[in-house]
Amino acid sequence: METKRNTTKLLLWLLMFFSDTVPLSYEKSMRERAIELMQDARLIDGHNDFVLRLRIFYQNRLRRVNLRELNKTHTNLAKLQAGYVGAQFWSVYVLCSAQNKDAVRLTLEQIDIVKRMCNSYEELELVTTSQGISDSRRIACLIGIEGGHSIDSSLATLRMYYDLGVRYMTLTHSCNTPWSESSSKGIHNFYPSVTGLTAFGQEVVKEMNRLGMLIDLSHTSYSTAKAALNISKAPVIFSHSSASSICNHSRNVPDDILQQLKKNKGIIMVTFNADVLACGRKVVNVSNLADHFDHIKKIAGSESIGIGGDYDGVEQFAFVLS
Amino acid sequence: METKRNTTKLLLWLLMFFSDTVPLSYEKSMRERAIELMQDARLIDGHNDFVLRLRIFYQNRLRRVNLRELNKTHTNLAKLQAGYVGAQFWSVYVLCSAQNKDAVRLTLEQIDIVKRMCNSYEELELVTTSQGISDSRRIACLIGIEGGHSIDSSLATLRMYYDLGVRYMTLTHSCNTPWSESSSKGIHNFYPSVTGLTAFGQEVVKEMNRLGMLIDLSHTSYSTAKAALNISKAPVIFSHSSASSICNHSRNVPDDILQQLKKNKGIIMVTFNADVLACGRKVVNVSNLADHFDHIKKIAGSESIGIGGDYDGVEHFPEGLEDVSKYPSLIEELLRRGWNETELKGVLRENFLRVFREVENVRNISGLMDVDESEIPQEEVQNSCRLDLRNHRLQAARSFGFPSVAQPLVGNWRVTEGWRSCIQVQATRQCCRCFFIIWGLLFAACS
Repeated sequence: METKRNTTKLLLWLLMFFSDTVPLSYEKSMRERAIELMQDARLIDGHNDFVLRLRIFYQNRLRRVNLRELNKTHTNLAKLQAGYVGAQFWSVYVLCSAQNKDAVRLTLEQIDIVKRMCNSYEELELVTTSQGISDSRRIACLIGIEGGHSIDSSLATLRMYYDLGVRYMTLTHSCNTPWSESSSKGIHNFYPSVTGLTAFGQEVVKEMNRLGMLIDLSHTSYSTAKAALNISKAPVIFSHSSASSICNHSRNVPDDILQQLKKNKGIIMVTFNADVLACGRKVVNVSNLADHFDHIKKIAGSESIGIGGDYDGVEQFAFVLS
Repeated sequence: METKRNTTKLLLWLLMFFSDTVPLSYEKSMRERAIELMQDARLIDGHNDFVLRLRIFYQNRLRRVNLRELNKTHTNLAKLQAGYVGAQFWSVYVLCSAQNKDAVRLTLEQIDIVKRMCNSYEELELVTTSQGISDSRRIACLIGIEGGHSIDSSLATLRMYYDLGVRYMTLTHSCNTPWSESSSKGIHNFYPSVTGLTAFGQEVVKEMNRLGMLIDLSHTSYSTAKAALNISKAPVIFSHSSASSICNHSRNVPDDILQQLKKNKGIIMVTFNADVLACGRKVVNVSNLADHFDHIKKIAGSESIGIGGDYDGVEHFPEGLEDVSKYPSLIEELLRRGWNETELKGVLRENFLRVFREVENVRNISGLMDVDESEIPQEEVQNSCRLDLRNHRLQAARSFGFPSVAQPLVGNWRVTEGWRSCIQVQATRQCCRCFFIIWGLLFAACS
């Protein structure tokens, strides 16, 4: 009897000892659960600026670079696979400074490189429909324009971008267009008197509905977002924005717009840019990011949430996620 | 006996009398033969500027106009059908004055209107392949860019135009590009030191081969045409040009190039512009046009010939060929001159289809070739409407809180080749945008 009790005590003591040093099977399975989940439901990420980096570093010369192993960027094909990314919207952003100059040509060049990239690697394939994303066994490539300056105030140009495969347009980047207002103030000096959407801006939104192009409200001002949500007959997206309530940054979305988004049945694809997540706090981690998810779930429901990392578009990421 | 001879005489006399006033069945059947031929082998026409007219007259608003009955233009759908047109290359020309401004956007707008037009009328359908033309029971629409200024020296832009359905590009219109020389002198002042094709121009031609886009040499200079014919691995076209030997106009093609074209197995789509047909003669008729056909047949063979009317692109057409319904009159004249049906079917469509198929073939063979990533050297092309990425602080422009380096709203801008200065006031005037001033097609310009 004594030996048995001692043995039991010993075993219990050993268990307590080891429980501090050996991860319990309960914690290990969170990670496993996450991975199993993602293997089954690979991520559709709303925004990545890798293609801009290809221009900056390689002048769009794909032959100079191996996209599988590239290590100058947040993104390469191996990492996308390791991150269980199933579909990626590649941003074909061109600088605001090109507005009223050669933004259209530069945009065509960025679209060209996405197409070439996605045709050159068997891990990738260009798709342009929801069905295409669902069916794809590779990493599905989609194209998003970032900033209405890319259409040079021409609906015909918008239509031709759609024909080329573009499936969303962010109405502004960090500059106003002649027909829409950006949330960024003081960076550029274009069309300072434009607020929200002008009459032509409303036509842009309507034409995007008619074409089936997703309307992206990241980077737009409060007025622009409200106007677009009022006019659009289709759900809209924020391809890479987070919650103002957690961090009151001009790039984030206030609660009332989140509520309108819920009614609209749209989606906010929460972004990982550390500067907009934690408002200048020095250490930013996945918990800060998760706070945004929790908050938006409370306001607009989890069905309104997606993910838009903005990798290769900004410098600062939460240290766990970089 | 006497009565019989008198009756015979009388009948012969009546026959002679009436043969002057009543067309012989022989002549009537020329017209009929022409029409039967064309019903069987509807015309593929290489060049029509109707779409430019839609911009000039209707600002591209299709809702304002009925394309079937429109009577301000040489072209409407009823006339195309009456002319037995089976396929039409619609030119998406934008003014040379838009070079180094917004030529790319304007070109996209013209492509857009061709697509909308061809989707809106059941008589029309957009096609992009030789098979598409052959199979079409409607009027097949194809798209041709007129002038390399539309690509803004960017091979990526060329590729995107191909993706949008463009199937030929005329290397120049009446202005030099930074990489190719036009046959027109003194109309514009762009890149006057460019001759023939530069190194980048050669890359353009090679990329067009790889893509399967037809190379059109109308409007190009002698040097450019020779260079392109030397480099191109595929047959080339002249979408709307005629013969220099008959009329020595800069828009026409000299005999030695016609001979090179024959070796190239390309095609010259003879054009109806009265000014290039008869060198200033006041009265120009279908016979003057047919002279060009006869001459080119002699030099390069009938298999090198097609038709590119240039309707709605110029003002003066031969008598009897005033609009797109009149093509049968040309075929009739050629029949009268002894052209046989095989030759004429070739001229009407088979020669062009051969060329297009071979161009597609070269594309298929090129499949494994690398995409051309050449860029034009910056110093050959930099202008005030082009963002200079070499000197731009890209990183700064992307981050928040960093002021933009470029302030495009302030200051003087010398826009093109010393033309004029342009001062921006309150961001309302955009130097890089072509303000289309219409004084008449010949004098349209950007301000």
